[in-house]
Amino acid sequence: MANLRKTYGKIYDQYVDKIYRFVILKVKSQEAAQDLTSEVFIRGWEAMKTKGSKIDNMQAFLYQVARNLVVDHYRDTAKAQLVSVDFAPVIDHSLNLEERAVLKSDMDQVKTAMASLKDEYREVLVWYYLDELSAPEIAKLTGKEEGNIRVLIHRALQALKEEMGEV
Amino acid sequence: MTEKDLIQNLKGLRQEKPNQEWVSLTRQRIFSQEPEEQKMDFVLFTPFFRYKLAMAPVIAVLTIIGLFGFAQNTTPGNFFFQFKKVTETAQVSLSSGAEKSSAYVRLANKRLEELNQIAGTSQVQNLSQTIKEFQTNITEATKNLSAMDVNADSDAIKEFVAETRKLEENRLKVETVLGAKVGDTQEFESALLQLEKQMAEYLIIDLDSRTLSEGDQTLLTEAKTYFEAGDYSQSLEKIWLLSNKY
Repeated sequence: MANLRKTYGKIYDQYVDKIYRFVILKVKSQEAAQDLTSEVFIRGWEAMKTKGSKIDNMQAFLYQVARNLVVDHYRDTAKAQLVSVDFAPVIDHSLNLEERAVLKSDMDQVKTAMASLKDEYREVLVWYYLDELSAPEIAKLTGKEEGNIRVLIHRALQALKEEMGEV
Repeated sequence: MTEKDLIQNLKGLRQEKPNQEWVSLTRQRIFSQEPEEQKMDFVLFTPFFRYKLAMAPVIAVLTIIGLFGFAQNTTPGNFFFQFKKVTETAQVSLSSGAEKSSAYVRLANKRLEELNQIAGTSQVQNLSQTIKEFQTNITEATKNLSAMDVNADSDAIKEFVAETRKLEENRLKVETVLGAKVGDTQEFESALLQLEKQMAEYLIIDLDSRTLSEGDQTLLTEAKTYFEAGDYSQSLEKIWLLSNKY
């Protein structure tokens, strides 16, 4: 059991930021993102204990749980695509005031634009550009063909560009 | 905005990170739901623990065997030497006649080896104990010498004499290191001399009755010469060279 805890501890450290980011860009509420992310890892731990080595791809598993929980969250709260007031970006404090202001502004724009995209586009942009998953990895996550994923990434980026143009 | 700028802005969202305190608390929360590891329960349910009553005598026997094994390297004065002595006493009690004397001489040799060992260390308090043990072995060997039958126990006597040669060498070695005589072997040496005389006499008479080759006849003559001179030990050496052939 001690070894399992150690292993899962490492998985937690490796993916907590990514899962949190994935979730918060969907739900746009820090409180909700924290609750849902906790739930993702609690379920991941339960799965680790029962299935252990049978889980081939822990990353894919965690993302899938996160997606499902977000869907449940939308269903429960009917807060799809709404931006929360406490959806405040964490800014790098090593930057000076001007840099921070510019970054905040850019980030706000991107976030707002992302919020307007459909789930499919938003997910693939987060995975590809933020989490730096490869197209094959995303294909595995979603159960789609690799070729389709590449097309999806391209379309998602175009959609974001259009949204940014309007922001 | 170019695609490059867009992607750059998108990547800026990597700054979106959770509060570190929340990260730590969540980690603790996930694992705090686990009960303490029940190591003892695991042990209690292993087959070993289930049969603990049956294992106890086995462990006791193994411990004793281990003790006796360990004791073989001890010297007189050491607590574990008594275990070694038990083994040695058992070995002697199982032998009889000439073999018993050989067994005692072997033990005397062991004591001399131990004396040599102790002489090189600071364990001088064990010296007198070891010398005492050596003397005891010599005394016992001497007692049994009179029980030897030169007619029936010639092979055993041969082995015995070989052991006494080793004894003499070891004693000289130890006395050189210690710079003092070790024990009183006068009585033993007198009894040994008598034994060698009887043995040589018996074997010379036996070989005289046989037809020998010229070379062997020469050896027998040499043996007789040593015997007449009172050097029964050398006489026996010549005789044994011959007697192995017949």
